[in-house]
Amino acid sequence: MRRVLPTLFVLALLATGCGDRSLILTVNVLSFLDPAQVSAGYSAPGGLPAVTVDMVDQTVNLLQGVDDVTDISSATLDIAATLDNQTGTATGTLLFYAVPSDTLSPFASVPIASIPISLTPGTLTNVSTRVSSVALAEALVSDRARIGIRISLDTSATPLLQSVQGTELLTQLLATVVTKKKI
Amino acid sequence: MGVLIAFAAPILWGGVSVRSALSQTLDARRLGMGGVVTSDMAAARGANLAFRAVPRGRAHGSIPLPLGLIQFASDPPEFNPDSSDFNVFEIADLITNPPLTLSLSRPDPVSSDISIYVARDSLSIDLEDLRRIVPESSMRNGSVTHLPGLGFGFRRAFAQVAPLVHTQNELELDDALRAALRDAEPFTTRTRYGLADVGVAQGAVAFQAGFAFRALHAPAPGKGEEDEGDEDPRRNGSTALYVGAGPKYLYGVAYGDVRAVAGATTGDTLLGSGDPVALDVAARTRHAVAGGDGGSGHGKGADVGAVLYCSNFEFGIGVNDLSSEISWKITERRHVYSDSLNEFTTTETAIDREFTSRIPVTTTINVAKRFGDTTVAADLVDGPLSTAVHLGAETWMGRLAVRAGTYRDANDQWQLTGGGGIRFGGIGLDLAVASHQRYLEDKRAVEMAASLTLY
Repeated sequence: MRRVLPTLFVLALLATGCGDRSLILTVNVLSFLDPAQVSAGYSAPGGLPAVTVDMVDQTVNLLQGVDDVTDISSATLDIAATLDNQTGTATGTLLFYAVPSDTLSPFASVPIASIPISLTPGTLTNVSTRVSSVALAEALVSDRARIGIRISLDTSATPLLQSVQGTELLTQLLATVVTKKKI
Repeated sequence: MGVLIAFAAPILWGGVSVRSALSQTLDARRLGMGGVVTSDMAAARGANLAFRAVPRGRAHGSIPLPLGLIQFASDPPEFNPDSSDFNVFEIADLITNPPLTLSLSRPDPVSSDISIYVARDSLSIDLEDLRRIVPESSMRNGSVTHLPGLGFGFRRAFAQVAPLVHTQNELELDDALRAALRDAEPFTTRTRYGLADVGVAQGAVAFQAGFAFRALHAPAPGKGEEDEGDEDPRRNGSTALYVGAGPKYLYGVAYGDVRAVAGATTGDTLLGSGDPVALDVAARTRHAVAGGDGGSGHGKGADVGAVLYCSNFEFGIGVNDLSSEISWKITERRHVYSDSLNEFTTTETAIDREFTSRIPVTTTINVAKRFGDTTVAADLVDGPLSTAVHLGAETWMGRLAVRAGTYRDANDQWQLTGGGGIRFGGIGLDLAVASHQRYLEDKRAVEMAASLTLY
């Protein structure tokens, strides 16, 4: 029942209703994250060519029934973050993951967004990008999605006994999914 | 949370039928006069049983010319749901507004993208064009339709067998749900979004016998009894009262009704890691059907009417389905959704319970005054859920007729009509142009009707 009713609704809206019209689903992914994950500290040991820090791993409930009656036309993600790096120097990427099920680790999937970052001591780094991704759409039209955010760093430029430390603040995670009725 | 918006679906489908109860007048003469009822319009004869007894006078028979079919054939809507041009609302418009008249202008069909904004504590749905079919107030529609039947008359008496169908539905959205869908206001936490529906449908076959006759007559002052050919009380200045009555036995074929409420109450968060929506659905259904549960129904009713002519003034009152009711043995069931069990439970609460349904009364009051070749007329038709008013006038100038009128439709909207006609001996051609709001989009459209008229 909990699935049938919303599916019927979306079906009523799309599958029979509007010809070549679209259902435009805008998901403020950021709002689903716990405050502790929106702004979180990171710390990575220096002297390593590849180190990862998982910042977010959270399951969110979304609208039911959308994937049953729609086909994805396109999806975009606007992602923005501020990295307030206190110590250490590193280069790397800020990675965004989304999968349509809460049974898989998002980090086992291919990242949807990958933003290069460069960290130096005592600097604020603002990064942003817009990406298009079908995988993102598949996650966001499902009943539940699992969101992951990871920082992948090369800390070789930082001495071994020191660390790269700072705070990551996510400022935007806005996804727009355009779907058409499923024929 | 998605459950919450699911309750809106019936609105869209309910909207499909909301205007279907509004009748389409195909008689161009009558439409040109605002759809008014007078005793010399064959198309309006069923409104008042006494009209049967009134001499024809200039009364006519009308053969509608379905001009709209040509238009439909040249530019049909897309029926293939797999096509990108398919739009179910165009199909619905076709059902509620059959293409029998020529459409001169019409609102653009409902068609637009739908935008949904989702956040943990925010959900809004912008239906864009679709908002137009979400009603501002409760959605009510209903009608009593007397379908063509078989009948015969002998002098003052007549007998006929005709089916009738009564349908009525009222769908009510609460303010919160209406605002969310019609005004795209965001859904909010700790709020119930609900709707209620009450519907009834019944079908019966009416076996009717009755009389219609002139009950009172006085020639016009200074005149004796009318000569043959001058017996039309509409124009000869006489005073005459015609009355008619026809009791009827109603054989009930099927009855069904539903009374349902449903709602979804949001929790502290709209979306998130939990499932904070509490769902409630409860419905009661009752039904009986010939050859099935409860069997057929049996009832009675009557149509009565009277029309008075005095100095070429006409005043008529017709009451159809007076005291019409049908006794049934209904089966009653209650359906309740359990949020905790996530399932519907149906309980049969009565079998063969005595129940009497009613056929709503339709009252038609009409007045008309004829001045030579000019007729001015008005009527008031009070039906199951609405009262319609029609006003119209007609004047003949030799072979040509000019007509104008206005009417207030079942949605309380005033519409304008006009038209003309030309007559060649016993046959004529009439055209009428009229505004209407039968389309789902609830905006004015203009149609043209044509008919051949037999004098």
